[in-house]
Amino acid sequence: MVLIVGVIVLIAVNIIVLSASSKRYTAFGLERIAISFISPFQELVTRTMRFTRDIWHEYFYLVTVTRQNQILRSQLNQASEVSNQWQETELANTRLRTLLNFEKTITEMVVAAEVIGKDPSAWFKTVIIDKGKTDGLTKGLPVVMPQGIAGQVIEVSNHYSKVMLIVDRNSAVDALVQRTRARGVIKGESTDQCRLDFVLRKNDVRVGDTVLSSGLDGVYPKGLRIGFVSEVIEHDADIFHEVIITPFVDFEKLEEVLVVLEVQRHDMASRQ
Amino acid sequence: MSYGFNIGICLFLVILQTTVMPHLSVPGRFYDLLIPFIVYLSLSRSVRESLLVVVFVGFIMDNLSGGPFGLYLTTYFWLLIGVKGITLILQVGNRLFIVTLIVAAGVLMENLIFLGTFAAFGPEQQFAGDAVTIVTIQVLWAVLTGSLFLIIFRNTYTWLDSGFRAFYARKSE
Repeated sequence: MVLIVGVIVLIAVNIIVLSASSKRYTAFGLERIAISFISPFQELVTRTMRFTRDIWHEYFYLVTVTRQNQILRSQLNQASEVSNQWQETELANTRLRTLLNFEKTITEMVVAAEVIGKDPSAWFKTVIIDKGKTDGLTKGLPVVMPQGIAGQVIEVSNHYSKVMLIVDRNSAVDALVQRTRARGVIKGESTDQCRLDFVLRKNDVRVGDTVLSSGLDGVYPKGLRIGFVSEVIEHDADIFHEVIITPFVDFEKLEEVLVVLEVQRHDMASRQ
Repeated sequence: MSYGFNIGICLFLVILQTTVMPHLSVPGRFYDLLIPFIVYLSLSRSVRESLLVVVFVGFIMDNLSGGPFGLYLTTYFWLLIGVKGITLILQVGNRLFIVTLIVAAGVLMENLIFLGTFAAFGPEQQFAGDAVTIVTIQVLWAVLTGSLFLIIFRNTYTWLDSGFRAFYARKSE
């Protein structure tokens, strides 16, 4: 009888603790110690793996590299032409930004970081990066890639940080469809895809449309690419579209990321 | 010696599944490698020793994972209690078939606790898209490889234990 009561009490306490901790990320501040303790080993293993892989690619694939070199040279010529066009666009962009009193561009406010560990569970999508407080990182900063938004810093220790990816089920990003400016909220599903929620049916959303951050969530700067619409499902009884988004970032191959610093300042400047 | 062995194995498994395993293209996702170790502890070690390891590794995993704090602690704790309970009813011993089933049940239990937590406390009380597929694949992996890990843990411990005994015997001579 005492044993049964004990087990019931234990289960009840367990559920209460889980309920309380699921409402927030930080537990007691002790998590920084664990991250600081484990992350150096993760870093060592990851760097060793990459070093071994690099040796393989650099020395054992020299034969194919020669062939690739020729192809790449021709591609480089084409890319140079495109690059010229981009430079022209960039100059125009710089002029327009100056006109709008932008203080800084996003490229001047990022810290590059390397992914040294991934979430052990299939249900959560977080990664550990090798930059922390000493590099100016704080909780809540957005993490981006050249391809698009990657996630948000949720835990920071001195030299390492934990990043929640946008495909995590707890992630939410205020977004808009580039073509029609239809607004919605991107939510992770802990799979390779996300959902764009709260897009009214009166708004036009089509497969292939690009989705950008709206900047209204106060976390991600406006205009960063997130993904493209891969499926639009209509329900007769629903006032919203069911929109499936495929992120531009390949989260399975995430190795380096950029953490955007001083977002508030950037946003304030953009709102002026 | 056994505490050092347990902590060492735990850290090795944690680092393995956060750095190496994500790069392996395992169909679906491999199950939590700490489950066979907790099962091994529950079957072979004392409650006090197992409980200390469960608290230590549960704390580490909770901090490295993006889930709510206490999820891994809960899972490992109830897995330990469950396996200890089973050993009171069943004579598990060295029967590989039963041990494999226990590991598979442990993997299933972990996933059910996770899904239950999502359903109860998650942002939208919904399950992840392909939950059934992920759980099925993980349980099948556990059936195929669970006993192998237990044999490795058991043999490594026996080998280290005999090595240490021989070392101290030589030292005392």
